[in-house]
Amino acid sequence: MTIHEPLTEQPASTTGPGAEAGGGLNIRGLHKILGGRTIIDNLDLAVNEGELVSLLGPSGCGKTTTLRMIAGFLEPDSGSIEVEGQEVSHLGAENRPSAMVFQNYALWPHMTVARNIGFPLKLRKMSKVEIKDRVEAVLELVSLLHHKDSKPARISGGEQQRVALARALVQEPKLLLLDEPLSNLDAKLRVKVREDIRKIQQELGITTVIVTHDQEEAMSMSDRIAVMNAGRIEQYSTPAALYARPETEFVATFIGSMNRVEGSLNNGLITAGPDILGIRPEDVILHDVPFDGAIPATVERVVPRGHFQEVYLHRPDARLRSFVTGEFMEPGQQTFAEIRKAMTFRDGRLVAEAGAAR
Amino acid sequence: MLAFGFSIGLTGGLNHTIATIAQNVHEADAWWGTLAAYQEMFTNKRFLGDLVVTVIVTLVSTLTVLFLALGIGLYLKLKGGRMARLLSGLAIVPLFIPVVIASWAILTFYSGTGFLRSAFALFGLDFPVWAFTMVTVIIGSVWTSLPFAVLMISSGLQSVPKAMIEAARDAGAGSLRTIVSVIVPMAAVPIIIATTFTAIGIVGSFTVPYFTGPNSPNMLGVDMSNYFSSFNQPQQSAVMAFTVFLIASGIAALYVWANFRSAKEQGKA
Amino acid sequence: MVTTTSRTRPAAGAGRPLSPGSIVQSALVALFVVFMVVFILGPLLWLGVRAFAGTWTFPNLLPDDWTLRWWQVVISDHALGVAVQNSLFFAPLTVLVSAIICLPAAYAFARFDFPGRRFFLISLFATNAFPKMGLFVTLAALFYALNLMNSVLGILVVHVLGTVVFMTWIPAAAFSAVPRNLEEAARDAGASKLRVFASVTLPMALPGIIVAAVMSFLASFDEAQGTYLVGAPDFMTMPTQMYSLVLNYPTQVAAVFSILLAIPSVALMLAAHKHILGGQLAEGFQIK
Ligand SMILES: Nc1ncnc2c1ncn2[C@@H]1O[C@H](COP(=O)(O)OP(=O)(O)OP(=O)(O)O)[C@@H](O)[C@H]1O
Ligand SMILES: [Mg+2]
Repeated sequence: MTIHEPLTEQPASTTGPGAEAGGGLNIRGLHKILGGRTIIDNLDLAVNEGELVSLLGPSGCGKTTTLRMIAGFLEPDSGSIEVEGQEVSHLGAENRPSAMVFQNYALWPHMTVARNIGFPLKLRKMSKVEIKDRVEAVLELVSLLHHKDSKPARISGGEQQRVALARALVQEPKLLLLDEPLSNLDAKLRVKVREDIRKIQQELGITTVIVTHDQEEAMSMSDRIAVMNAGRIEQYSTPAALYARPETEFVATFIGSMNRVEGSLNNGLITAGPDILGIRPEDVILHDVPFDGAIPATVERVVPRGHFQEVYLHRPDARLRSFVTGEFMEPGQQTFAEIRKAMTFRDGRLVAEAGAAR
Repeated sequence: MLAFGFSIGLTGGLNHTIATIAQNVHEADAWWGTLAAYQEMFTNKRFLGDLVVTVIVTLVSTLTVLFLALGIGLYLKLKGGRMARLLSGLAIVPLFIPVVIASWAILTFYSGTGFLRSAFALFGLDFPVWAFTMVTVIIGSVWTSLPFAVLMISSGLQSVPKAMIEAARDAGAGSLRTIVSVIVPMAAVPIIIATTFTAIGIVGSFTVPYFTGPNSPNMLGVDMSNYFSSFNQPQQSAVMAFTVFLIASGIAALYVWANFRSAKEQGKA
Repeated sequence: MVTTTSRTRPAAGAGRPLSPGSIVQSALVALFVVFMVVFILGPLLWLGVRAFAGTWTFPNLLPDDWTLRWWQVVISDHALGVAVQNSLFFAPLTVLVSAIICLPAAYAFARFDFPGRRFFLISLFATNAFPKMGLFVTLAALFYALNLMNSVLGILVVHVLGTVVFMTWIPAAAFSAVPRNLEEAARDAGASKLRVFASVTLPMALPGIIVAAVMSFLASFDEAQGTYLVGAPDFMTMPTQMYSLVLNYPTQVAAVFSILLAIPSVALMLAAHKHILGGQLAEGFQIK
């Protein structure tokens, strides 16, 4: 049994170049009250240069509010926002070095794709020739050159999304902000576009903050994820660390799937106690024959999930769920269930991580 | 149709009755009628004067209404707040007041013993008498047309999504640029509709110029009724009606085109 | 959680210094508001005061003495009383007739895409584009032939014509704004077509219909030119009476009468202002 106590410091492995404040985005003490309620509560967030960070959290936790304050559409009540070392919180949105991709794209319907993208450049008083070159270059990047002269209403949702991205990229922003950029796309397209975004972001090395409530999206694109809950950041770490070592019970439940059982784990057996155990379903291993540390269990229900099955088990000490690949299980079937790993939470915070002795 | 037939001199059928009691009727000498009445009117100094006045009043009033309504609508959209609501509320007031009363009230307000002259006289200044001039006609036209334009344009501006405006600001556009390049083009259809309705209402208006305007030249709507009742020349009156109708149709074409355009855009979306 | 707040700024709005630019801006706005108050309300107040004025010497801003004498004159004048009666007779009747004729048409425009639908909508608009006076002149010619001059029916026709645009367009927009799937859900629940119309479509389109009715009532109540041409001197309504009042009575009497004439309009408008400002009116003027 291994115990880390206390588990507070950041994993050091997540930092890229320029880990110290200066590059990227640096938010300190951000606070916002809306309609008499504290929506953002003393929020700190540092994003390294060239890093892609997701703000992930349940609906209404304040992700959009945070992003809008970074973009300059909403004035914070207090706190500072620095982009590449420059304080921007006193600037209007039009003077900030950030560019935003809006949730519903906000493409101007009366302008063609090329004019939508060229508009920010026109405002920077660039020559017509240069605008044309840059617009075509960025359209090439998002592979939409053939839709240059189409009106936004005429192209598909996925294409509109890429136009919105191109309109942000063409400004060569120091900071790219995206508010649920994929939520209007179907499942397949979402996977493709998020890979496109990630690829382009890495090619150009733009510091990026992306808001999402889709954990799979956040996990697959981000260098780091900030999990938000009720206006605060619960945990800020790499996707892998987030999953493997959630610092709070909220994060553990929110990210992935978890068996939540009251009690503590002793030699593979759950005994009564004041703590909360978090057991990932994939850490519940089933054996056909008696096995060291495994306890007899009955299969109650089987839910096919495509390439694996979700199996509901009844063990003498608890009811558990397990993810099983391989042969098909039947309700009523007898099996032996072993808990290979469990997290212990006390007062909502992780206090111990235990792996069965093996 | 009947009136049009009458205006080109077809005096048979239903038009017969009016032809017999009317004076100075040009009768058709060909099957398709005669343009004699039109010819008479288009060489008539009084008519031409009326025509010019009508066009000028329509243009000036419509532009003023458009300017005021856009100003109020944009202020409401971009700033909001008590002041903006107060302004738009004020602009709606004339909708509550019958035109007859409005015309009469405006006439007295700007008359020789009206408020403006009284107020200026208290400071020893002599303010011009605007009553019974084209100035009051324009003021009256603006006054009565403002509510519809404000309602139409504010509702059009309100329906421009906030995100579109924020996207423009994010791209680096200042307020003026956002208005010119994003907000106004996106609300183009309601703005055009408001403009055309205002212009059409003014070009054919009667009550306001009748009460507040000079005897002659006045707007065509007034003289049309003079020719009909006082001078008993219905054919000439019909000619005037069709002239106004032609101007109005020109403006109306703009309205139809605007609607068509919006239908097309929505169809594509 | 206590962290260093050395970088925090004062709360927005509270501590923000007023720049010279924003002061100039507020001043300009204030000036514009004052201008609008004088421009819009000035004439109304100026006229309103007149209704209670005895003598009034130029250039005083208020009358020399106050009196209710003019109200006495108006109330005891028989012709004016008849005009009030006539107005209150024609306006509701017009709304009723107009609704019976136009509402089914509005529903058809909203729900069925029959050939020539756009053409009809646009020609409706064309009637509106035709100068009112010209229209009435034409009508008068026709009425002579049909013996409708100086008849209730003739006046009613004139009034209804003036309301057609309101009674068709605004309800049409309101009908088409009722989501079809709500009607379908009601059908699905077993309601007959008529039942669906009565308990789903109509209630949802009601605000639009109310606005249309109010606008029609006012259009009729306000109608002077056509009524005068077709009905005078047998049928005088309040607005047509205004024409002769202005010429033949002291200004104060016209002022009193104006206030009386404005009461129903203001009352109705206040009752329906929420819907009018809510965009029902504006919505109705966009042909879909
Ligand atoms: N202008 C406002 N006035 C009052 N409350 C507001 C305002 N804007 C947002 N809120 C509240 O702030 C909270 C956070 O809103 P926000 O839009 O940031 O949530 P979110 O995390 O983006 O949620 P979602 O995933 O649903 O988009 C919500 O409870 C919302 O109701
Ligand atoms: Mg959001």
